Amino acid sequence: MIRVSGLTKIFEGGNKAIDDLSLKVKQGEILALLGPNGAGKTTTIRVLTTLSGFDKGEVEVAGFNVDSDPESVRCAIGLVAQKTGVDHFLSGRENLMLQGRLYRMNTADIESRITELAKYFELDDALDRTVMTYSGGMQRKLDIATALIHKPKVLFLDEPTLGLDIKSRQNLWRYINKLNKEQGLTILLTTHYLEEADHLSHRVAIINQGKIQIIDTPEALKNDIHGDAVILNFDSQGPETGDFTYAMHEDTEIKDVVWQNDKLHVYVDNGGSAVPKLVHLAKEKGLVIKSLSLSQPSLDDVFLKYTGTTLDEVGEEEGDEWWHQWAGKSGGGSKWQKNWGQWQDKIEASGTEAGKAGWQDKMQEWQNKDNSNQSEQANLADTENSQQPQDNKHNKGQQQATDKPPEPDKQQDWPQQPWSGKDPDDWQKWQQPDKDK
Amino acid sequence: MLADTWHLFLKYTKITLRMPMWTLFTLIQPLLWLIIFTQLFKNFVQAPTDGGSYIDFFVPGVLVMTALFGSSWSGVSLLREITAGSVDKMLVSPVSRVAIVLSRVMHSAVQVVLQTLTIMLVAWAFGANLNLDPINLFLAMVSIFLLGVGLAALSNGFAIILQREEPLVMIGNLMTLPLMFLSTAMVPKQFMPGWIEAVSLVNPITYAVESVRAVLVGTPDLGTYGFGLAIMLVFAGLSLAWAVSAFNGLRD
Repeated sequence: MIRVSGLTKIFEGGNKAIDDLSLKVKQGEILALLGPNGAGKTTTIRVLTTLSGFDKGEVEVAGFNVDSDPESVRCAIGLVAQKTGVDHFLSGRENLMLQGRLYRMNTADIESRITELAKYFELDDALDRTVMTYSGGMQRKLDIATALIHKPKVLFLDEPTLGLDIKSRQNLWRYINKLNKEQGLTILLTTHYLEEADHLSHRVAIINQGKIQIIDTPEALKNDIHGDAVILNFDSQGPETGDFTYAMHEDTEIKDVVWQNDKLHVYVDNGGSAVPKLVHLAKEKGLVIKSLSLSQPSLDDVFLKYTGTTLDEVGEEEGDEWWHQWAGKSGGGSKWQKNWGQWQDKIEASGTEAGKAGWQDKMQEWQNKDNSNQSEQANLADTENSQQPQDNKHNKGQQQATDKPPEPDKQQDWPQQPWSGKDPDDWQKWQQPDKDK
Repeated sequence: MLADTWHLFLKYTKITLRMPMWTLFTLIQPLLWLIIFTQLFKNFVQAPTDGGSYIDFFVPGVLVMTALFGSSWSGVSLLREITAGSVDKMLVSPVSRVAIVLSRVMHSAVQVVLQTLTIMLVAWAFGANLNLDPINLFLAMVSIFLLGVGLAALSNGFAIILQREEPLVMIGNLMTLPLMFLSTAMVPKQFMPGWIEAVSLVNPITYAVESVRAVLVGTPDLGTYGFGLAIMLVFAGLSLAWAVSAFNGLRD
């Protein structure tokens, strides 16, 4: 249904948005393009849907060449872009009607199709209200319905559930799955929700810097990364926890140990045999384990392996790529964009340094004020700024003990991890659905 | 292409009808001009306005001004549509690309004609002495319509090239006021300093005003009207062609 070979697109200024990308999507398949921001997902979709030109390669969609026969491609595809293109001042019915008109369908066909789609997406009641009154999820459903009005053979979904709450998201997944199963619709979707790619797609293509790093089924990708992740949470933290983590480093079965705030992530080959060992070790060191969970490797880990990047800063990509698209041929635009980009880089470069330093200073200031603070952060501040002798000794001890494993204070390094470290519960969120499966 | 244009035109019209306040607001400014200027310049007896009162002379100017203010912002909503994703939605469909620009421009021009008619009604209530028989009215409206097409097309073209709302609004401001003052909308040619008169000769607004004035005020002068109309046709045609080509250049 979709055949892309050697697709290359270079933005003005020499940036390679898509770099020699090749992929095939079979009829009735759902392929997810998974990648960090700026990976070229949206650009790829725009090329495949005739919205963008490209520099090299062959692109065929639904049997038609995108370059030489865009008109036929347009008739055979539907696109749900990141921005809902539905008109807020029109009712759902009017939006669908207009869309049908744009595909030159006759009135009777459009009307019967509207009835069908409204029923399918459970929009019957809202059909004659203006879109302004719709919820985000409803708007997205209407958007998908308008993209389906002409019964396309291929549906493109660009970040279909971006900005939706969990419930609407799952709801939408149900529809997308159903569309694929019942109507055999071929779907190419982009996402940076690992969970979404895992849940929806037959195959996942991990894309980074305009290149496809790997394409395979979610299961195969996950099998690629052996082992399990054990997450431990202790009653208290002190020198014993440091001892504990240090001791684990000597165990060959344990591949990696990472602290995330008060949680300890232990990557092991086999969770089943590692858990008793860990519990035993904890007991030996006199530690009380508050909670322990064991999970399978998720696409999270796969993603990190192939791209070496994280999936945060949601929303940056669209703005950026969007601007590139439209600034294309028009003199001033791209120049401004470039200057702006340079400025931002500068600000960011100087900003983070200053920010970091400022943050640490602040921390120390707070800690100094609060001598009785026994938390990890307090200890940290003390080692650097030894103004509290009584705490200092205790601290040093721990510092040595935890020498090897990452200390809890190393939060600035956390972007290394896919769960970004901003919200300690993020990790759990990612893991949870996996377990459910 | 025509069917596409028609359906999109209907869409824009529906949207406009759902927020009538906006259309009303664009009427306020020309109304203020009409009231203030006619009151202010009432006693300029020496103004060579071909015997009529100043309000008679000024009404065509206000009508053209309405068109100027009404259609020069058409590009702003195009930018909104681009940001909202509606334009992409149209572009992935097989709809004619020309129709997208054309429908916007037509919508704007029709809106302007309706606004102009409202203003004319007010002017008539103020006691302006105009030739309001259907033929003259129709001819005047054709001219206004073409002016609206030309200005809306320019605005859409600039919108596509500039990509940003702020500079577009700036250009709009920069364009509308001088265009109006450097034309014969408010002051007759004889009244102008030489250089302004020279500028007014290359200002399309002048010809729009002159053509409207030729049929609405005093004895209808079809020669002047015809010339003005021809200029309007060229202006509308060129602007439209430019806007369409800018829009086609959108695909990168």
